[in-house]
Amino acid sequence: MNRDRVNRILARIPTHLIVIGTILIWVIPTLGLLITSFRPVQDVNTSGWWTVVAPQNVSGPYVQYCASCHGADGKAIPEADLSDPNLIARYPRSLQLMAILRQDINGKPHMGDVPLPTSQEAADIAAYLRNYSSGQAGTARFTTSNYVDALVGYRGRASYFQDCREGTQALDLKCNASDLLNPRGMGRAFLNSLLVTIPATVLPILFAAFAGYAFAWLHFKGRFLLFAILVGLQVVPLQMTLVPISRIYAQLGLNGTFLGVWLFHTGFGLPYAIYLMRNFLGSLPSDLFEAAYLDGASHWTAFRRLVIPLAMPAIASLGIFQFLWVWNDLLVALVFLGGTTPVMTYQISNMVTSLGAGWHLLTAAAFLSMLLPMVVFFSLQRYFVRGMMAGAVKG
Amino acid sequence: MSKITKLIAALLLVSLALAACSPAQQGGGGGTGNIDCMGAKSGDEISMLYQWSGVEETNLNTVLQPLVDSCGIVLKPESTRDQALLDTRVNAGTPPDVAFWNVSQLVQYQDQLKAMDELGANRESYADFFVSPGTINGRWLGLPVKADVKTIIWYSPANFEALGYTVPATWDELDALVEKMTADGNVPWSMGIESGDATGWTGSDFIQDILLVQQGPDYVMNIMNGSVPYNDAGVKQAYETYGKWATDPKYAVGGAQGTLSTGFKDAIFKPFADPPEAMMVKQSGFAGGEIAAQFPDLKQGTDYDFFIVPGAQGLQGGADWMMAFSDKPAVKALVAYLSSAEGGANWAKATFGLSPNKGAQGNYVDPALQKLGDALATTKGFTPDIGDTIPGGFGSAEWKAIVDYLNGGDLDKALSDAAAVQAEALK
Repeated sequence: MNRDRVNRILARIPTHLIVIGTILIWVIPTLGLLITSFRPVQDVNTSGWWTVVAPQNVSGPYVQYCASCHGADGKAIPEADLSDPNLIARYPRSLQLMAILRQDINGKPHMGDVPLPTSQEAADIAAYLRNYSSGQAGTARFTTSNYVDALVGYRGRASYFQDCREGTQALDLKCNASDLLNPRGMGRAFLNSLLVTIPATVLPILFAAFAGYAFAWLHFKGRFLLFAILVGLQVVPLQMTLVPISRIYAQLGLNGTFLGVWLFHTGFGLPYAIYLMRNFLGSLPSDLFEAAYLDGASHWTAFRRLVIPLAMPAIASLGIFQFLWVWNDLLVALVFLGGTTPVMTYQISNMVTSLGAGWHLLTAAAFLSMLLPMVVFFSLQRYFVRGMMAGAVKG
Repeated sequence: MSKITKLIAALLLVSLALAACSPAQQGGGGGTGNIDCMGAKSGDEISMLYQWSGVEETNLNTVLQPLVDSCGIVLKPESTRDQALLDTRVNAGTPPDVAFWNVSQLVQYQDQLKAMDELGANRESYADFFVSPGTINGRWLGLPVKADVKTIIWYSPANFEALGYTVPATWDELDALVEKMTADGNVPWSMGIESGDATGWTGSDFIQDILLVQQGPDYVMNIMNGSVPYNDAGVKQAYETYGKWATDPKYAVGGAQGTLSTGFKDAIFKPFADPPEAMMVKQSGFAGGEIAAQFPDLKQGTDYDFFIVPGAQGLQGGADWMMAFSDKPAVKALVAYLSSAEGGANWAKATFGLSPNKGAQGNYVDPALQKLGDALATTKGFTPDIGDTIPGGFGSAEWKAIVDYLNGGDLDKALSDAAAVQAEALK
């Protein structure tokens, strides 16, 4: 027998277990969040998301304890018609139901020889009768109303559609398509996030590509020192600069403008972007550039015709990093843009009230904000792995 | 390749264009109606910073809408619970025009804030115990805008009736009722105190209510000014009364572990679930709204209701404070509106908690709020939350003492640790 093969398979088992375990650790909470985002708020408040896979036995206790006398439709005893909502309204909860079950009916125990239901079973019977007598099929287990409510910025106690049916919607809701652009909804925030993120991704990459080319292929005095200083700037913590930059912006009138946020993200994105681009461009073969210069190419031509195409993997990977960082940023957007033009992260953090209500909306909002990064990641992922290596190996 | 460049350029152009067309300002009418615009012109802006969000924000908009309609003021609200944002703004010299924040910020920003009476606030609208916490070094800096009463216990009248319980009128009756419930095999209390890094605050509310019963409001005020140390015998007695219930599965759902690990929101629902997991829950006025949202078929008054903690000499509660960093006409109009009788009435009608404004009385549409408003209007003493009032993170020290105690730690040590923080803060 080929013991080597068996040994090899055995040796791989720990690796496989670790990989599977890591995947589970990441996937299970995300799955829970996804399921929660589709559950009605009342269910979210009372039971865990994993209970959705448990079988739902609505009529079981009723069939077991009541159907033999009252009939499957509850009408077998005319003086106690269980399909009559007025009768059921007198026994809304298990305690009232248990009280009548304990009483004697016409001198005999209500339940005869059958033992009394447990309190949980009585609660199930009461809930079943409530829904049955009012003609409702019971509450649905899944709903999309969390997503609708998050999109339009509904902040009430019921749901957007219910309030609109009853005409009790908040002042800022019109109950038509224009609600999708309600300033307090995720729809409008999505646009604001795009407005912040696209320039704040493109600008630093553009500048970093210029600077990376200059540091790698232009020979000027002190470029190593300048490069070292630039790379060293990565250690400046962003939080430390909030107050001084806020003051400068106040004088320039940039507080609360998109331009201010773009400049801030560009500034803080540049050191790492320049570092990565310079290392990547420096690793390109110098013969290529010498040949281009010999053929009369200017620096601009070399940059446009040679550097940009060759640096695509590095640009894409930088793009992914910078995009995700800006898209998920709350602090900078909160300080410099604030609540007048809210971005998605700001809206997510405001879904929950100061007393912890509304986190069913938070789950839906979180998934809405995840959509675009997912699309970006999967469409650029072939660059991603290549980009990870960018600048790592100097040729 | 050139396609990508074009695409990026196009996206960039589109976003620049979109950013340029900022949302249009909505204009307003002139100063009509009986709201005093204090010289504010249509289109004047007020930047506001507050901690409310979600349904709370909607309610605030409802309160302020009449002001917006009649003076044409444009509100620029921002919502965050991150105090660093307020601090950054103030330190950068760009504070919001008004902030709705906690009482301790009145002390922190006393040099930057404008006095309320100079802004035209109506002092007559407020009881003394609401003005004095907002008065720093003789200047009235904070306008109390939203109040909450904490000294209440929620229960289900329907369940009480089915089980033959009556609402207690004295602390001894409450004690006897609790014993009767346990004898019947029912769990009296739902006591969950879990609340993330603020775990313990529901416990500190409960203990302060017990202090109001056992010692009275003067004693509580003395803890806040430091003349009674937090490890005093009276405080210890209150902790032991609380601990007897909170740590025993006979008295509280899940015993000590249940109390520590159940979220305060889940705890609100337990007495109203079916079958009920507990009979009573001690929680502030906001619990009514939570119950109404969770159980839409339950009715206030018959299915859920509350009673004032029996035997409490005075009420415990808190207020949210409005502070003004600007004295421009629009801010004056806002201050005048909120402190007017009409502002109080509109606050009450918006069902946004209680209003400290006397004009609110009689205008609540929610019967639960009306009942609380009545209690507030007739109370002899009103004590703010101990943990919120003593500066320097005493609130966290108090919560830690409760969590340590419930976890089986030594009570004397837990209390003396908290007393050390109290002494340090009030030095």
